[in-house]
Amino acid sequence: MTMIDTTELTKTFNGRGGCRGITLTVPEGCIFGLLGPNGAGKSTFVKMLAGLHRPDAGRAALLGLPLGRPEARRKLGYLPELFRYQDWLTPAEVLRFHGQLGGMRPRETRGPAFRSRVRDMLELVGLAEAADRRVGGFSKGMQQRLGLAAALLLDPELIILDEPASALDPVGRHEIRNLLKRLRGQGVTVFLNTHLLEDVQELCDQVAFLYEGELLASGPLHELLGGAGDGRSGGVNWRFRLGGWLPESWANLQEAAGGTLAARLRLLEADERGDALLTAALIDREQAGYLCALFIGSGLTLYESGPAPNSLEDWFLRMAHTRQGGDRP
Amino acid sequence: MTMYISATFKELTRKRVFLVTLILTCVFLVLFIVGVRELAGMTGQQPEAPVERLKNSMLLMVLGLLFAQFLAAFFVLFSTMGIVTGEQENGLLLAVAARPLPRWKLYLAKWLGHAVWIALYSAALFSAIVWTIHSISGLPILPEDLLRGFLLFVWMPLLLLTLTMLCSVYLPMLGTGICGALLYGIALFSGLVEGVSSEGQTPPLIEKFVLLIGLLVPTDSIYRRSLFELLGGSDLVGLTQLYMGPFSVPSVPSNAFLVYTAGYMALLLWLGCRAFSRKDL
Repeated sequence: MTMIDTTELTKTFNGRGGCRGITLTVPEGCIFGLLGPNGAGKSTFVKMLAGLHRPDAGRAALLGLPLGRPEARRKLGYLPELFRYQDWLTPAEVLRFHGQLGGMRPRETRGPAFRSRVRDMLELVGLAEAADRRVGGFSKGMQQRLGLAAALLLDPELIILDEPASALDPVGRHEIRNLLKRLRGQGVTVFLNTHLLEDVQELCDQVAFLYEGELLASGPLHELLGGAGDGRSGGVNWRFRLGGWLPESWANLQEAAGGTLAARLRLLEADERGDALLTAALIDREQAGYLCALFIGSGLTLYESGPAPNSLEDWFLRMAHTRQGGDRP
Repeated sequence: MTMYISATFKELTRKRVFLVTLILTCVFLVLFIVGVRELAGMTGQQPEAPVERLKNSMLLMVLGLLFAQFLAAFFVLFSTMGIVTGEQENGLLLAVAARPLPRWKLYLAKWLGHAVWIALYSAALFSAIVWTIHSISGLPILPEDLLRGFLLFVWMPLLLLTLTMLCSVYLPMLGTGICGALLYGIALFSGLVEGVSSEGQTPPLIEKFVLLIGLLVPTDSIYRRSLFELLGGSDLVGLTQLYMGPFSVPSVPSNAFLVYTAGYMALLLWLGCRAFSRKDL
């Protein structure tokens, strides 16, 4: 089942900002990350999914139902980005209120089953000790935890989290990551809008990249990272760390490699101690072997040879820079 | 829909501003009781003639309910000016509006939650003022007049609540407060102008001004009708015109006008629901 399905979804503010023509599908049971720099339109997109913004154009469905239908929203848990709960209530009262907003009768929310559910939720997010304190005295991190408890309260099938770990300390972030993994294990689909790339790298099965309101890429994370390795050829990026580097070594290597292979080599850095770092965009691993032999044959010391680490941050920056140059990948 | 009644009760009772409102209301009522005792000659120093006493009682009733109306209006304005945009700005609405409750129901629930407590506060004020005048100065009030006056007195803040909530969908919190206070003030001012001008020939321009304001913000008109009913209709109200000046009740809104205010309130509620349903949060 497709949990989120959008077609040409558009929302602008007087023709500016927002997001335009977003076509995206999020399959069931995965953690999906939404990435993009500030002002990319991520929050606008998330707010449309949560029913807070009305789309200008396009279609969208949550859990197979058209956007905005109460039946779909009943199975949705949502943690907004810049939110606050009622200062004058306790966490248990906030959850009871949200239980009623979710369609439960007041009598049901006073019953032992719901009370037990509230206790479990507060324990899950680490707020059991603060259950009787007023929310007004909570730190931002505690409010964030309460928001997460409210999002999970009614056993949602889909959870949309807008910057869930932004106000949390490292311990809190670690706990949230474990919680999200556990939810995925239970078949819950998580849609994550976050700036924290390490969270995305560790958690997400699929990602989408928004830039200036447009969707530039989407798909499984490993495919996107692999595809971005050498631009568009589908080859591999290789990295070599060398010793014994002299000022004339670069010209010698260019001559020895010759032709197209020389053109694929790049000198990233070289210092006065004779250490150098080179990369090469290669067609296959055999070319890397040939280059290793060439370096050794040229009197250089080969300290390291292997695929260049292709981090999400590199990919993120490359996507943003590519778009700034007016080139769509 | 009723969940907001208990939620609003918790909000009102747990916020310090409500405690301050209650204390100041009590101070006002104590001062009022003392003032009534003095003016009604109950201290025994200046026994008055019955007609003089009746006039004083009516004056005190008009002034007491006028200030009670102020308090009710301020209570409405300060408790509801951030009800939509204010809650949107501080993030309270975001998690709430994403729940599977149609926006129009959410709007009506918020209205109902505030309306119940505003009506109770207004009822308490009304009862305290009327009881004080009746028991201390002996002003005669028939039960059916009391009921009609009471219902109309409570109607006024509910209308103001509906108007303020609609403003709150479009304007920021402070803007809503200013707009609501200005509209209420203009309505009050038009009533005073009518009271002053009733002593002579009212200029047509002022008549039109008063009519227009009465249609746009009928709070003062409802208050005057409430007084009219409470004071037993035309018999006693006619007396007020002789010596109360701006606080007199020169013209009394008709039953048709009351029906208009009911329709107007329903229209404002409908517009509010519609605007809130279409609002991007």
